Amino acid sequence: MTPALDPHFVAPARLTLATMLTAVSAAEFSTLREGLQVSDSVLSKHVSALAEVGYVKSRKGVHLGRRTTWISLTAKGRKALSAHVAVLRDLIDGIE
Amino acid sequence: MESSSTPPTRAQASAALAEAEATRAKVAGDVVLPSGFTASIGAAISVQIGTAAIAVGEGALWVLAAGLAVFAVVGGAQLLRFSRSNGVWLGGLVNQVVLGAGFAASWSHAAGLVVALWAALTGQWWLVVVASLAGGTGYALAGRRWMRTYRAAPQEHTRGPSTAWLVVSLLAALSGLILMTLQP
Repeated sequence: MTPALDPHFVAPARLTLATMLTAVSAAEFSTLREGLQVSDSVLSKHVSALAEVGYVKSRKGVHLGRRTTWISLTAKGRKALSAHVAVLRDLIDGIE
Repeated sequence: MESSSTPPTRAQASAALAEAEATRAKVAGDVVLPSGFTASIGAAISVQIGTAAIAVGEGALWVLAAGLAVFAVVGGAQLLRFSRSNGVWLGGLVNQVVLGAGFAASWSHAAGLVVALWAALTGQWWLVVVASLAGGTGYALAGRRWMRTYRAAPQEHTRGPSTAWLVVSLLAALSGLILMTLQP
């Protein structure tokens, strides 16, 4: 049976978001927004969608009196991303 | 529930993956250590080695505690600077660069400490200074090397060894030093 693509990573922005998070233990919301070059609301939507299935988690913090949000990839999200990327690579390599 | 009626074409999959990996590389490439990061960690390690040797040589436990406190304050302050300036947190940086869990850092520290302890017990205080400085320098250089390794393959170096392993190692090292200090 051919493994399927994970529907939660099919949107390129979500794939990029999750892949970015593999490079760090956690990233501030603003760092991810700049990396993805999207608006706050768009990033919030992607983070919420991935958090809903347990692929990412967020925690609140404070920096110089300003509220910050830190996002990290969960073990479940890391595993799901690896599986999704493997299917993508098979697709790129033409393996059915 | 999300759904995707049509799978991406080969070109779309390739483009999406390339974009994701390029962005990850950029995130890792943009991570920079604040000025003086590894130098201050290395200096704090030199202080820690030197004070540990003095504590054992003179039987003064408070000197050991003071050296550890200096290291804790410097390490904590530098990590705070790092996370604020980069907007990211790297577990691997904490473990490998600050706590020295990497091979080169841990051996620099261990070698410096062993020589400094021996020197203190034999009253060769000049050698305590040299061993402390050498241990701290090796530690700092290992930190810089880790950053280059991280940038080359960020996804493989983000986390580092488990915190439990580090806590056990630190407690074992600390217990050994305290026992040596309390020896009559």
